[in-house]
Amino acid sequence: MNDIGIHLLLFAVIGAGIMTMAAFYSEPVDSPALRSIPRRLVVFAIGCGILAALMILAEYTVASVN
Amino acid sequence: MAPEPAAEGRGNPNVAAILTWLIPGAGHVYLGRPIFGLVAFLVVNGIFLLGVRLSQGMAFEFLQTDLRSPIAPVLTPEVGNLSAVIWHMREYGFGPPFPRPWPASIDLGTWLTAFAGLLNGCLACWAHFDARVPKGMRPRRPSPGLLVLAAWIVPGLGHWLQGRRLRGALVFAVVAGFVLLGTWLAQGANLDRERHFYYWSGQFLAGAPAWILELLHGHDLVRSDIRYVDAGLAFAAVGGLLNILAWLDVYGVAEREALESLVPEVEPSAMPAGEGAA
Repeated sequence: MNDIGIHLLLFAVIGAGIMTMAAFYSEPVDSPALRSIPRRLVVFAIGCGILAALMILAEYTVASVN
Repeated sequence: MAPEPAAEGRGNPNVAAILTWLIPGAGHVYLGRPIFGLVAFLVVNGIFLLGVRLSQGMAFEFLQTDLRSPIAPVLTPEVGNLSAVIWHMREYGFGPPFPRPWPASIDLGTWLTAFAGLLNGCLACWAHFDARVPKGMRPRRPSPGLLVLAAWIVPGLGHWLQGRRLRGALVFAVVAGFVLLGTWLAQGANLDRERHFYYWSGQFLAGAPAWILELLHGHDLVRSDIRYVDAGLAFAAVGGLLNILAWLDVYGVAEREALESLVPEVEPSAMPAGEGAA
């Protein structure tokens, strides 16, 4: 697997773990907590994607060191 | 007999917790339990002082020069025992301005000082709960402080002891799995406090999985470039930090269940005849 593939895989793993724990922290009952994990993971991935896009944008504009 | 909903506790929970944070056991002395407070003080500070002795007070000398500041210990587990960490900084600080060899027992020593800090955090949880228990009552369920301690030492054990077994197993899988995966990616380089001071603090929160791995592989020499060391550090530290969410979950449920389980300290059957009739 290439490097970007490994990074995406690691991101998926860490995202799944973070969202599992967040779901358990937010929902006192197990079943709703488990059902909410996929939705939370999608929101997490979209949020991280937006953040990454903003960082790349900043890197090439206001935070550029060239 | 069910407790009155508005029954007054033994003291202010926040004051009890903050006093414990400042001086181990002080919260329980404030709540009228001086013997418990004294024993807690001796245990927590005994572990801390043993750690200082074994590390010869060099715990914060692990920090690189550019990371040293008076508030640098704020992000370490030792900060759970505030008076001790202030004393440590005043007494030893960051050591002399030249490098010197570490004592052979420094890893065990700094582990003990960190352990004392988080142990005092659990004691603060205990004091916070005890302050809410009305005078003359006692909970039939374990103290939330004890369950948080269990949840720290073995991730998921607090949930397991509460009967929430699926949740406990998943918490263990996530926290221990992250520490294990992080250690594999970083080839064990993440487990050395000298090498990664603050990441170590994060993964220390994961409890036994991190401690056992450190005991087995924590201080091996790094002989080559480790490609995914940064990812490994992140995984292991995030595993420990996620365990905090588990503690909060355990504490919330344990506190509610314990407050619902209050019974009189002296059972009505043990009272003299006629005393419990009123």
